[in-house]
Amino acid sequence: MERTERLLDLVALLLDSKEPVSWNELRETFKDDYGVGSTEACERKFERDKAELLELGIPLTFVKGDDERPDGYLVERDAYYLPEVSLTPEELAVLYAAGSAALASGAFPGSQDLAHALRKIGFFSGGPPPAPKVRLELGGVADTRDLPARLDALWSAISSRKSVTLDYWSPRTKEHSHRVVDGYGLALRRGLWTLVGYCHLRQGIRTFHVHRMRKVTVNTAKPRSPDYEVPASFSLDEYVATWPWQHRFHEPLRVDVLLTGELSPLAGTLFPSTPADDPRGSRVTVQATDLDGLVKYVLSLGPAAKVLGPARAVERHHELARAVLAAHPTVKEAP
Amino acid sequence: MTGEGRTDVYERLRRLLFLVPFVSRNPGLTVDHVAKELGLSRDALLEELDLLTLVGRPPFQPDDFIDIYVEDDRVYVDLHQRLSAPPRLTAAEGVALAAAAALLKPGQDDALRSAIEKLERVLPPHAVTRFREMGKRLDVALEAPSGLATLSQAIVERRVVAFDYLPTSTGQPERRRVQPAELFSHRGQWYLAGFDVARAGERLFRLDRMGPPEVTSETFAPTPHRRATIPGAAESHERVTVRFEPAVAPYVRERFGPEAKALADGRVEVEVPGENPRWLTGWVLSFGGDAVVTRPDWAIRSVAQAAGASLE
Repeated sequence: MERTERLLDLVALLLDSKEPVSWNELRETFKDDYGVGSTEACERKFERDKAELLELGIPLTFVKGDDERPDGYLVERDAYYLPEVSLTPEELAVLYAAGSAALASGAFPGSQDLAHALRKIGFFSGGPPPAPKVRLELGGVADTRDLPARLDALWSAISSRKSVTLDYWSPRTKEHSHRVVDGYGLALRRGLWTLVGYCHLRQGIRTFHVHRMRKVTVNTAKPRSPDYEVPASFSLDEYVATWPWQHRFHEPLRVDVLLTGELSPLAGTLFPSTPADDPRGSRVTVQATDLDGLVKYVLSLGPAAKVLGPARAVERHHELARAVLAAHPTVKEAP
Repeated sequence: MTGEGRTDVYERLRRLLFLVPFVSRNPGLTVDHVAKELGLSRDALLEELDLLTLVGRPPFQPDDFIDIYVEDDRVYVDLHQRLSAPPRLTAAEGVALAAAAALLKPGQDDALRSAIEKLERVLPPHAVTRFREMGKRLDVALEAPSGLATLSQAIVERRVVAFDYLPTSTGQPERRRVQPAELFSHRGQWYLAGFDVARAGERLFRLDRMGPPEVTSETFAPTPHRRATIPGAAESHERVTVRFEPAVAPYVRERFGPEAKALADGRVEVEVPGENPRWLTGWVLSFGGDAVVTRPDWAIRSVAQAAGASLE
């Protein structure tokens, strides 16, 4: 009997049964599968099937027997069936919008899980609801061909804590390096996906842009045994920069930035910190671990943004502005 | 094997445990409709239906089998063998849904937040811990600006939204009333496309230049909306050439792909739209001297003036 067929039969039997089904009954019922060969081999086969069903979220339970009945297995019906979630039409619509946008982006980890989840939440409403148009262009780079497959492989590896091997391209050295990484998590920042994990080559936690990876392979040995543990204190956010000044290049430096004129009311959007009132506009303070990242960001906001201090930061701001000025020699306007 | 600990059987089983209750609840849907719902080809679905006719429960009398069949190109189930509803969400499915929802950055009181909370309540108890644990491994929450969920809801309900907007072209804040049509992200930047009531035309708004959106009680009739796009250099009337130093050239090549023209000295050159000088100068300044506008003259002047003003 084909394995899928056997597993479905097993679900149908255990879901229908009012009493736990004993191992002997299972062996008798599935003679060709659990009744042939050594008892140990048959038990191992059943254990593999059971693990598959548990992975699918099927509440397969072992019930200890008593004087009246032997030990046995059953599927608890109440715990099996998807209950009606009672989402309002608005809730369903926005949830669908988010899910289908992520799926349509083609670059979202766990895409099969997401597709199934969307089917399930639409089950009681009779299919997809009219959802708002929301579109995501994830990836942030020109070549995103292999991104979906890489993200799915990485997310699968992270979920089951299996190591991955990959070739990683560095734009700085323009070379590939071969890495073995224990993936701790995936993060999306500014349209780019980053894997954070323990790098066996560098013997420490490192970040890797997914679009710079080649040949991502998940360790398939002992698929149900994790290769590593994720440290309890690990937090993705500590390793992935959300803002350009958060790359960890130097010790934290407290920098004050002034936003004047039209930028003043946007201070809370342009910076994550709460703006303070200043007679000239809004003042924000950030902890920079990449001063150049901050200074370039401030420059990009135009003359209404200024670095107030410390002196080192002000000097760097001026230095880079002068570099831009020097690279753009004055061109006289046509009369 | 599909990767990690999952097998092909896992995916197939998951699909079939949904297929039976789905057809049972929606009898008479066409083969193509059901195939599309399941993300399968027509032939693959017919193969799955064939397999299901062999499935049942012991003692495998005729009435013990799942009775699923196609008649006049429509799919029906007569005996579902207790597969009347799909299994609950798995932890992985819950995490995927919650992460997708996080892309729209749900606020405290909006529909997206309450939807996720309701879903978490129906996860099987044994999956909740894993759901929370896996949720820490996928982080997209900080990606989106606030207001996305509010705007999504306004699109669903077809309500006019009002907000203060700072256009990059003038730099002067303006109050806008917009019939929202579409939200989209492009290269990490979020945009709202919609019909600007005062300007009587379709416009694009960057969310990071928008104040908190207010959903008004004014509704609007659905109108055809073209898929919004960010104009590229090819469609632009005003092209600007920017040259990048070797230090940043590899990153520019990653972003622009074949559009980045390699120069002999390790530098690269790209053409970008020049319709929006404020955006252009801001972008060039963000490279701190490693990007140089080489033509036209007005763009060179514009960058030089902005850099000069930053020094004042």
